[in-house]
Amino acid sequence: MPDELSAADIIAESAGPKAVAETDRAPSEEPEQFSPRLANARDMIITEHVDKWFGDFQALDDVSLRIKEEEIVVILGPSGSGKSTYIRCLNRLEEHDAGRIVIDDIELNEDVRALQAIRSEVGMVFQQFNLFPHLSVLSNITLGPQKVRHMPKLEAEALAMQLLERVGIPEQADKFPAQLSGGQQQRVAIARALAMQPKIMLFDEPTSALDPEMIKEVLDVMQELAESGMTMIVVTHEMGFAREVADRLVFFDEGALVEQGTPEHFFTNPREERTKLFLSQIL
Amino acid sequence: MANMPAAPRERIVLPPHRQRARRPRSVRAREWVRKNLFPSWRGTLLTALAAGVLGAVVVGLIAFVFFGANWEVITHNRWLLFAGGFPREEAWRLWFSIALVFALIGLAYGTWSSLGRRDHLFVLLVGGFVIFLMAHGGAAVWSSIYFLIAVGCMYIGYLLTYRLPRATSSMRTLQVRLVGALLILALPIVLVVLLAGGNVGIRDLDGFVLNLILAPVGIVGGILIGIPLALGRASSLKSIAWTCTAYIEIVRGAPLLGWLFVALFILDDIIGGDLIIRAMVVMAVFTGAYMAEYIRGALQALPRGQYEAGQAVGLSQYQRMRLIIMPQALRISIPPMVGQAISIWKDTTLVTVILPLRELKGNADSAISQFEFTPDRIEAYVFVAVIFWIVAFMMSRVSQRVERAQGVGER
Repeated sequence: MPDELSAADIIAESAGPKAVAETDRAPSEEPEQFSPRLANARDMIITEHVDKWFGDFQALDDVSLRIKEEEIVVILGPSGSGKSTYIRCLNRLEEHDAGRIVIDDIELNEDVRALQAIRSEVGMVFQQFNLFPHLSVLSNITLGPQKVRHMPKLEAEALAMQLLERVGIPEQADKFPAQLSGGQQQRVAIARALAMQPKIMLFDEPTSALDPEMIKEVLDVMQELAESGMTMIVVTHEMGFAREVADRLVFFDEGALVEQGTPEHFFTNPREERTKLFLSQIL
Repeated sequence: MANMPAAPRERIVLPPHRQRARRPRSVRAREWVRKNLFPSWRGTLLTALAAGVLGAVVVGLIAFVFFGANWEVITHNRWLLFAGGFPREEAWRLWFSIALVFALIGLAYGTWSSLGRRDHLFVLLVGGFVIFLMAHGGAAVWSSIYFLIAVGCMYIGYLLTYRLPRATSSMRTLQVRLVGALLILALPIVLVVLLAGGNVGIRDLDGFVLNLILAPVGIVGGILIGIPLALGRASSLKSIAWTCTAYIEIVRGAPLLGWLFVALFILDDIIGGDLIIRAMVVMAVFTGAYMAEYIRGALQALPRGQYEAGQAVGLSQYQRMRLIIMPQALRISIPPMVGQAISIWKDTTLVTVILPLRELKGNADSAISQFEFTPDRIEAYVFVAVIFWIVAFMMSRVSQRVERAQGVGER
């Protein structure tokens, strides 16, 4: 597995003239380095100066980030750095206290209808899967399309079977979540999110609760999804995935966006001390 | 997006599990006995002691039941105990209700569970007991036949649903909804059967029949009151939360006995109505406070991720509650709610203590106040105790079944 490579391997492998050229830019203002393939893509997510407080604790500190359509962004950071809070703000599982969040041209605010519209466009996959244990796998997936999109039952079931096919477990449709392995459950959770036909997928540490042998099957599904042109934001510690799939890495620490750049930039020549320290601990 | 071919996935094939050999039954039985009954000399001593106590009780009981006791107090007063002042010429209403409820029990069993050998044995024992009571000391042939018909209805209901194919999900959904609706409607239907037409007044509900009506009214009413109370107490709107909290804490702060006094002396001025109706209201209000707390506990026990997953899928708050939270919360709260149901079942005897209403225990008091039966008070109370035990035991068994049937989706 790629993530078992040592730091030295990765650095040796991905070091190249391109990476050096990119890091030559002035580091004073945080540079936004979009992958060339996204040069003409429109902005899918815009966050400007977002703050989030939990009581006296500042979880997000002036976070600004633009994400293009079809871009794959991996968010890194130590625990408590605000990376989960950030993506949970994007579908308002947490309400931001200041700043502006615009998803697909809809501003996220108190407006319930805007929120409803955004939530049906943004799929989310959780660390703990959060499947509905009292519903079968199939019903877990059809619930959203049926109840939110008012899709007829048969159509919803056909869609669900298609998605189960896509994540590789059509034979589990009639089982209950508890009868599935962790990896299978997470794949069902991905199918459940996809059933709403979202434009954006948020992944909140999708492999952190999995046994090592199941991580790959979930990452494979995510990689396939990335290749299909989904806009994805992934909070993860899977460096192999970050290096291979991401267009851009973003590093959070203490609620602030510390550094961002291409995988090459991060793995060869990170600029900030905190980034270096974090990467040296995790690689 | 659906036409993206899934990447071929390599699978790890494990060798098949080695079939573990099982030791012969006799060896396992011997092992079980040694381990569970005679593990050491101390254990052996305790087993012997327990066997002695148990044996003495059983022998004493058998001697009392079959030789010492005079059961005429029961057989002679069986109508008094069963229905008391209920008009005898309207007895068909009782039998019809019993058959209805039995059939429904059968339907429910067939839908969610299956009857095992123990269940058949239980039916046989209880049925035999009832027939024995009715046949003894009186030519109650018809009652016996009605009762057998009711039991037959139960088995017909069971066979009707048990044979239905469970695989096709739409059929299954329909079946579950239909039987569920019947279960919910059972109580009102029975009340209509008993009271419709005006020949029977609500005050005619008497004896064991009164227990059988009061307890379900308390339990069903309690759940109906408890669900909104639990949601209200968990509400972020403080005015609602405080109101619900006040209700729960005040109601739980006094015993049912006290609330029945309220029904007798205070509710008369407020809601009026027959004393039985007031007693029903008090039972439901009282049970509701407890049910609310069990449901609230279950709501808090649900992981936050369940709420969030519902949000992330785009469900509205009402949909989240109805489709995700409540089904799970109610399942978690089944055991304590059944505990409360059993408790309120036994507490139906309190209406005799406080109110001039006569249920099974009250009518047993009347039975032994007859001159010729005054020496037989032990028989009368043993009988009442056994009846209460049978129903309580059934409730706890059914709850185990429900838990198991619902447990498929357990984490």
